[in-house]
Amino acid sequence: MKRVEETLNSLDGIKRATPQPWLFSRIKARLSREEAEERTVWGTMGSFLSRPVVAIAGLCLILLFNGALLLNQPGEGSSAAIAVQNEQQPSDSESYIASSSSFDFENLVQP
Amino acid sequence: MDEWTLIEHLKKGDEAAFKTIVDTWQDMVYNAAIGIVQNAEDAEDITQEVFVQVYHSVSTFKGDSKFSTWLYRIAVTKSLDHVRRKKRKKRFAFVRSLVGEESEVVVDPPDFHHPGVSMEMKENAATLFKAISHLPENQRVAFTLHKLEGLSYQEVSDVMQTTVSSVESLMHRAKTNLQKKLADYYKDKT
Repeated sequence: MKRVEETLNSLDGIKRATPQPWLFSRIKARLSREEAEERTVWGTMGSFLSRPVVAIAGLCLILLFNGALLLNQPGEGSSAAIAVQNEQQPSDSESYIASSSSFDFENLVQP
Repeated sequence: MDEWTLIEHLKKGDEAAFKTIVDTWQDMVYNAAIGIVQNAEDAEDITQEVFVQVYHSVSTFKGDSKFSTWLYRIAVTKSLDHVRRKKRKKRFAFVRSLVGEESEVVVDPPDFHHPGVSMEMKENAATLFKAISHLPENQRVAFTLHKLEGLSYQEVSDVMQTTVSSVESLMHRAKTNLQKKLADYYKDKT
């Protein structure tokens, strides 16, 4: 138990640790490196996208995608068929009204 | 130049102000980081990261807390992220070794010797640091900031954004856990 207490108190009077000298220079170098990397990433991306082949291919892809969307929209024929189907089948609310109207209101015993 | 003038100058991109800020608070940030990550090289790396973040996000510092409290928060967050990343890496390497895949051999780190500990306390302090490394994160942070940085419970609560009574409770639990861990350690040793 005494050993435990001694160990627990072993940090009493501890001095502050200090980093290696020239920390500021290393931080500056790190900032410059990060900025250069950022420039490289955006620069590479920009030059890649500005190539005529890539730009034209991208434009074609967008046009193809739009064309595909337009062609896949439901036509007039199919919407007419849905309308006919709806006319033939009574809706749920209509069938409920029909069934509830068969109730014998006239012979209802009044209190 | 006072703290607020320095911050205002840094917000305008003044390099001299940034240098003064680094020179003034580097020991504080490094000491907080080394206490949590328990590795000199990693603490140095984290200290650099903290000041890089300060440089980029000083505009978000509104002065609701002391500048040193803000710095401590960044240092603690980055240090804990580092510890979690290391643990994850260790677990991943272990799983890979179980399924028979070759991976980097992860060994337990050697005993950590804090450079500020006196020679006669060196062995005991290394044992204590090992026990601290097994504490839950919030107990570890509270204990480190109070014992190593010498912050008051009020200051620790400001950094951890909690109440003073919570810090008291964390410290109490940390001490109880450490006593238990150390008692087990010495019992196994004899």
